[in-house]
Amino acid sequence: MANLFVEGKYGDKGIILGNEAIARGALEAGVGYASMYPGTPASEIIITLDKNKKYIKNIYTEFSLNEHISLHGAIGASWSGIRSLCAMKNVGLNVASEPAHFLAYTGVKAGLVLAIGSDPGAPSSSNEQDDRWYSLHTYMPILEPSNIQEAKDFTKKAFEISEQFSFGIILMAPSRLCHNAGILHFGDCLDRDLISGNFKRDPENYLNLFNLAVKNHKKYLERNELLKKYANTSELNIIIDAETGSRNHNRRRNNNRIGFISSGVIYAHLIEALNFINADNYKILKLGITFPLSEELIKRFLNDLDEVVIVEEAEGFLEFQIKKIAFEIGYQGKIHGKNIFNAYGELTVDDVIKGAANFLKKPPPEYFDTAVKNLEMISDKIPQRMGTFCVGCPHRGSIYSILKASGYSNTDSKDRDVIIAGDIGCYTLGLLPPYNAMDWLTCMNSGLSIGQAISIADKSKKIIALVGDSTFYHSGIPVLMNAVQNNSNILYIILDNSWTAMTGHQKTPSTKIDIDGIPIPNAINLKDLLKSLGISYIKTIDPNNVKRFSVLIKEALKEKGLKVIIAKRECILQEERRNKIKNVKLNNKPEIIYELQKERCVKCNECFVELACPAIQLKKEDDNKEFYFIDTVACVKCGVCYEVCPNGAIRKVEFNLHSLINSEPQVNLLNNKENKTELKIIA
Amino acid sequence: MQQFNIAITGLGGQGIITAGTILKNAALNSDLQDVSGSERRGGAQREGYVEAFVKYIFYDSVSEMQNQRKNMHSPMIASGDADVLISLEPIETLRAISYVNKNSVIIFNTNTHIPISVRMGKSKYPELYDILNSLYNITDKVFYYDFNKLSIENFGSIISVNVISLGVVFAKTNIPISKNVIENILLKGPKAQDNLRAFNIGLNL
Ligand code: SF4
Ligand code: SF4
Repeated sequence: MANLFVEGKYGDKGIILGNEAIARGALEAGVGYASMYPGTPASEIIITLDKNKKYIKNIYTEFSLNEHISLHGAIGASWSGIRSLCAMKNVGLNVASEPAHFLAYTGVKAGLVLAIGSDPGAPSSSNEQDDRWYSLHTYMPILEPSNIQEAKDFTKKAFEISEQFSFGIILMAPSRLCHNAGILHFGDCLDRDLISGNFKRDPENYLNLFNLAVKNHKKYLERNELLKKYANTSELNIIIDAETGSRNHNRRRNNNRIGFISSGVIYAHLIEALNFINADNYKILKLGITFPLSEELIKRFLNDLDEVVIVEEAEGFLEFQIKKIAFEIGYQGKIHGKNIFNAYGELTVDDVIKGAANFLKKPPPEYFDTAVKNLEMISDKIPQRMGTFCVGCPHRGSIYSILKASGYSNTDSKDRDVIIAGDIGCYTLGLLPPYNAMDWLTCMNSGLSIGQAISIADKSKKIIALVGDSTFYHSGIPVLMNAVQNNSNILYIILDNSWTAMTGHQKTPSTKIDIDGIPIPNAINLKDLLKSLGISYIKTIDPNNVKRFSVLIKEALKEKGLKVIIAKRECILQEERRNKIKNVKLNNKPEIIYELQKERCVKCNECFVELACPAIQLKKEDDNKEFYFIDTVACVKCGVCYEVCPNGAIRKVEFNLHSLINSEPQVNLLNNKENKTELKIIA
Repeated sequence: MQQFNIAITGLGGQGIITAGTILKNAALNSDLQDVSGSERRGGAQREGYVEAFVKYIFYDSVSEMQNQRKNMHSPMIASGDADVLISLEPIETLRAISYVNKNSVIIFNTNTHIPISVRMGKSKYPELYDILNSLYNITDKVFYYDFNKLSIENFGSIISVNVISLGVVFAKTNIPISKNVIENILLKGPKAQDNLRAFNIGLNL
């Protein structure tokens, strides 16, 4: 099949990612406007629609500058009668919370779905916040799919519910669903010829001021009550009854009097866990709609139960609501939840197995405990591995230069008098060892914002604030203007790698050349923008030029007032991709190899630890002596290690490929074992 | 209901996600079969820990497939519940040890990738001998090869380590999928001939 995502129809099935399933659900529902500020784990939702847009009629996709703009965009499209999908990561809703708080007041016209990728365990976020709590005051209804099929089906359904009740609907998808891949059964798509926008004035709903706002407030509370009625009977909420005449293996508890409530991916964990411990006869409530909850439904479920266990992640949003309902209906039984399951970290299938096993006093199979112990026994012997910059990443040069200039390389000391403010992006990894470069990391553009206050509060310190290009455009310009206005004594380094790299390389407003080498119209000139703000100290530098860069930083730190350095070099992954597309031939171009000569290397660790390029690796010789070498398969020949080695142990070998293949003497230049491989590869 | 779980672990850039997707596509042939499994993707950055789960589910009957107590599956593999562990880096094999049990098959790549903590001298990279000891303590079905070397020798880069390792799965485990199905999937994909060759290299190890 050419392109199943676009052309698939009822009866087709395929392997698809959770995020793609959400996008497909929107496509089946006839989405016409799709926007997001990229953020893991939600990014592929809009990427999928964007990369297929040339095959999809009447669709507009946008990687907006931030979530606030992105959600407003979706609202505008909805008001114009176009079904719209907005996606963001969990913390994105903080930025979009303003439009989210108005959406219930104004209502929607065409369906609007807000897909949120939550990130329990925070593998790619700076916090674990559970966005469901927002709905207690935004009143946005929440749907929670449990698997790939539901991700698609619920998204499609969400558009209908949105129109029926005039709410923007939240579709919650944790990373375990966004990045779950499995079978999807396709449905048919709405006729895309029918998509056409027509904005009609609707002052009664869209104007919110004074008593108009109060009126709309009352209206949406009424709509919320209608929605509760819907939730009571909706097929999205399912009660699985305990079988009657139960095989009551366990005399201590009567199966029929205990029930479980869960939603989303955690529900999938629960079903698996109950099967795992052979506890398959308990009453279960699967909530597909987790806000608003229907009192009727909860009442019906609690009715004949003595104890209920709510299985969910984070602080217990369901437990909070259900306990309120239980109180109102005078429920006499016990409700468990956060007394069993942690409110922090990801709730894994293991956690649910352990929690359910303990509660029901039904032990998991012996091999489960053995496996857990097996890891415990050796875990302190396994070296930690944390992510780091890619081989050849320009951020490595930047972080290295900053640390050299401030004199803090390889120290995690608390007494530093150059303060280095981190921010959100690939360069965030500079906070990890071996660099330990950053003093704080919270939300987007917290670097300069917090930094400028510290520059007032503690005048004894020098401050460097980092920001990436995409983060800068997201919400950094107002912060910078604030710093200009107050002439903050700060060095602001904009790490401009031309892309929103971390989330899959979306364009930023100043991306000048597309991946296929085509110039992008309307690209903003960053330097002109800075100049127009009245900043007088602006320097641009190639971050891989580490010696010059650290001198420049030292000089800048001596100056008073606001200084800006643009560290400009394209993300190496994009550069390499473009070269691949352009099919850059080696032919007559002189080829370069960086070679680490082990006999000259004194293992000073400048390249291996301080710079820590992953292409520089460690090997043992037969006599057990260790030496460093450059893995030529991984090396992208950025030359930074060559620049930093103080002992001349790394050399640059330039040669012509043709002469290399044809003549012996040149081959002899390369004399250790690894280089044999190297020759083979290049030839 | 029969299940067959495969955990694939390693580092960003090793093609772990692709290997998982290839295996998952093999589940499309039968109506009574399902597959799921989440992926831990690093960011754009390489070097980070990456894993993909492949959970094959074979239903005994249509009614079982429609049973709500049976037809929902966690995207994760529980401790001890993997039939096969494929690991493309030695210490990542250890990190994933909790997935396996005494009947599991472990297939791993001996090519090491030194993490930062070892570079800094904060921890020691364990010897292959010790790694093998830990693994043999759990199961005697351990197979290990230098997939990087095999890939570089045959394809000039490490691009094929993932597909070679899939070949080994079909040679050394009782995966309930026919190898022809995988070959057909590879045939339809990009770089079909290279991938088929890589798969066969693994099959013959
Ligand atoms: S030239 Fe040196 S620093 Fe650059 S990628 Fe190669 S080994 Fe790493
Ligand atoms: S910087 Fe030079 S001398 Fe120092 S470890 Fe690297 S190659 Fe050896």
